[in-house]
Amino acid sequence: MEFTSGEIADGIAVVRPTGRLNMVSAGRLRELITSTVAGGRSRVVVDLTGVEFIDSSGLGALISGLKTARQAGGDLRIAAPNEQVSLVLRLTNMDRVLPVYASAETAYGNG
Amino acid sequence: MDSGTQFTLAMSAPPDDVDTVHALLQEVWSNSPAVSATDRVCFETALIELAGNVIQHADAGTGVSCTLTVEVFGDRIEARLSDTGEPGQFHLVPGGMPHELAESGRGIPLIEALVDELHYDRSGSLNLWRISRRLGTA
Repeated sequence: MEFTSGEIADGIAVVRPTGRLNMVSAGRLRELITSTVAGGRSRVVVDLTGVEFIDSSGLGALISGLKTARQAGGDLRIAAPNEQVSLVLRLTNMDRVLPVYASAETAYGNG
Repeated sequence: MDSGTQFTLAMSAPPDDVDTVHALLQEVWSNSPAVSATDRVCFETALIELAGNVIQHADAGTGVSCTLTVEVFGDRIEARLSDTGEPGQFHLVPGGMPHELAESGRGIPLIEALVDELHYDRSGSLNLWRISRRLGTA
């Protein structure tokens, strides 16, 4: 899995994982979100466009990131999950705590 | 006992990991055109959770050796996984999902939501796991 990150608007960070978000890669996503928030950007969107598969380790990393962002006064939102990711979010009730947006650009409003 | 098309994999973790299981399933799907996209997604998600659980929790420091067999029948798909790890420690009692902000504990409930059967047994020094999903039920 590869990650890219950047800023899509003032103070809003975007993290883009590509590949499988599983026990192999979840730790790196967790670290990337932690360092992003520590760097002063606590409003984060994880763009899941490139994520082909997620497991419960990947969900754990997203929840960890959500808590990290909220503790810093921000939030974590997710965008553009595929069918498998949406299924896992629904079955684990994670869609109740992780709002899903159509795209990273619209996750915090106008984009 | 009926029989289906079998795919078998012997793996040692490390260096093998759940990506090795994805590769086996790629072979299964290539040879099983009758299995629907929904069944593939559900079964793959369940099996990766099971394999990940074994690799993560059964390793007492010396790694884990596993044999995984996936078998496609006319009416269902099964996976049987045996591993040399520590005895499995999990609860098959339907306990539902953990607290929504918990960072772990969703693996087994997720498997239970995706397959029709989940069995665990201990035989000698081996953990024996089996999951089964009826095809075309979703």
